[in-house]
Amino acid sequence: MTAAAVNDPVVVAPVVVALATAILALVVRSNGRLTKAVSLVGGVGYTLATAAVFTRVVVGASGPLPYYLSNWPAPYGITLVADGLSASMLGLSGLVTLPALVFAVVSVSPQGQRLSFHPLYHFMIAGVAGAFLTGDVFNLFVWFEVMLMASYVLVVFRSGPDETRAALSYVVLNLLGSAVMLVAIGGLYATTGTLNMAAMADRLANPAVYDVAVAPTLGLASLLLSVFALKAGLVPFHFWVPAAYDAAPAPVTAVLAGVVKKVGIYAVIRLFFTVFAAAEYAGGSALGFVGPLLLVAAIASTLYGGVAAVGREKLSEVLAFSSIAQIGFVVVPLGVAATAPGLPVPASAPGETLAAFGIAAALVYAFNHTLAKSLLFLVVGTLQDTVGSVEFDQLGGLARRAPVLAAAFLVGGLSLIGVPPLIGFFGKLLVFRVGVVAGAAGSGVAATLAWIGLAATVVGAVFTIAYVTRSWNAVFWGEPSTRVETALPKRWQTGGREPATAAAADGGQAVGARGLAVEAVVVATLVVALVGFGVGAEFVLDAAATAGEAATDTAGYVDAVLPPEGGVEGVPAESSGGEH
Amino acid sequence: MTQWLLAGVLGTLFALGTFLVLRRDVVRVVWGVAIVSQAANVYLVTMGGFIGAAPVGDFREATAPSDPLVQALVLTAIVIGFGTTALALVLTYRVYEEHGTIDTYELGGEGL
Repeated sequence: MTAAAVNDPVVVAPVVVALATAILALVVRSNGRLTKAVSLVGGVGYTLATAAVFTRVVVGASGPLPYYLSNWPAPYGITLVADGLSASMLGLSGLVTLPALVFAVVSVSPQGQRLSFHPLYHFMIAGVAGAFLTGDVFNLFVWFEVMLMASYVLVVFRSGPDETRAALSYVVLNLLGSAVMLVAIGGLYATTGTLNMAAMADRLANPAVYDVAVAPTLGLASLLLSVFALKAGLVPFHFWVPAAYDAAPAPVTAVLAGVVKKVGIYAVIRLFFTVFAAAEYAGGSALGFVGPLLLVAAIASTLYGGVAAVGREKLSEVLAFSSIAQIGFVVVPLGVAATAPGLPVPASAPGETLAAFGIAAALVYAFNHTLAKSLLFLVVGTLQDTVGSVEFDQLGGLARRAPVLAAAFLVGGLSLIGVPPLIGFFGKLLVFRVGVVAGAAGSGVAATLAWIGLAATVVGAVFTIAYVTRSWNAVFWGEPSTRVETALPKRWQTGGREPATAAAADGGQAVGARGLAVEAVVVATLVVALVGFGVGAEFVLDAAATAGEAATDTAGYVDAVLPPEGGVEGVPAESSGGEH
Repeated sequence: MTQWLLAGVLGTLFALGTFLVLRRDVVRVVWGVAIVSQAANVYLVTMGGFIGAAPVGDFREATAPSDPLVQALVLTAIVIGFGTTALALVLTYRVYEEHGTIDTYELGGEGL
């Protein structure tokens, strides 16, 4: 065994920071102020750590950086790998977790914050970061569980009738998903003899050398696909989404929709485009099998989510259903790309093959959805705290009374629709372009599927315009409703008099004028980010292109992670799942 | 022989778990989930195979041992399953406190 390459601590930094913050917040939780301080410092630390990983891997173009825990060489020990895809997803998570945390500090009830909010929040982030970084399939399961365990409690956090019911279906569905994932992982281990993703890709690519029967892995991969679709909330695994998003506190929903959902997307890309893409089955590649499945699920999500969102009478529910639709937009390019992964694309598009291009498009769209949807859910939270309701029939005329909020909602909504210069425009453009390129250059069934995917996203885009417009009209346009009159008799000025009277009387929390000012600042920051990344879209597009290339470069991934001789015979493997 | 026996046990466990998950009573649903998780654990252990000797002690002289990795995996999975089952049971109690029922039909009928 050669000595492993020198471990770069920057790779583990996001996980370590989040875990340390969670534990520290648990230790000092008797002191409310100190807990908040620890949590905020940890939140800043996490964002900085993800920025460091992103800078090193994507901006510095370092290639995949492996981190061997306790210096156990791959595939014997647990390996963390930061490649372009992981680093981009991490960077994205860091952009949202901090604003949501600041929002939570003022909006979550003081008792809730004393009790358990901060440790849970950081455990959830640790699970997200671990899932993005791990290079081991069983370890992925463990990080999923870390993330889900915290999110179960955060969904039921307010603990009322709706919350308990929503959490029940969320918990039961995800527990079943976990059991299915375990079955798939066990089967993969029995067939390939390894849990390390790089080693698994290597063995699937050279089945004769390692004496691996590849056929069973296709079925096991399909099991994994269903689990990841459940985490991402794709139709037909979307049942938990609306209730859970409605039940969780606004900042938690922002992170659930913005980041936790993307973990499912990430896992699909990582396992199918990096690992299973290497295998050759009797009827074609694994991507060829899952491509149509992904596409059908994505199209169904886009249409179902769009139709359902148009018909809702509550802003938070509109946004929750919109999340199902938007995940459809993210997955359509993945499905199209998977049906014809090797197709060459025009030089002007990011990536050299359709697979890389599709992933880049999916990531830019995911980036847009993360920022825009988090922003919108935080606007919902602010409305809840100022006016005390997000039902359409209770609201109206807020554009005049709360212009900052109205402007923020408008920017978020326009980015969902895809209006330039916001980043949503580039997301939509790339998603459409993947369909056009694959439809025009492809052949046979793949081309037909690409055109169908394109048509579905165009129809989905029309639905997006419909539900954003409807929400805008109902909430911000027109004359102020009675409830708005009571809550905000005059234009809401940050730092002005207490506008939270109605909310407090209605069982909501009195957040206070200062708290509301903080909420407004957080929302405004996300608006600036949406506009800024839209104007500087080059940066996002480059990162997504790097991620797409990294995700499809199986050989590069394998070479970076496995020791040069690649010897994996004989010695009984040591604790691949021991970390806990 | 062991393989056949375990295959039968696994099939029965998964069937039983699925049956319970589809009941109306939330407590039974939680039991069903617990059984499905345990079945997955048993399945995981069987994936290591039963050909070799017990993977304990000094086996430089003896025949190749069975794969001990799956046992490490299953230990992790059991701990996680323990935590989640406890959470699900507490949640069931909270659901009962909030709604006065643990019948899924009645819970769902309250409207979303």
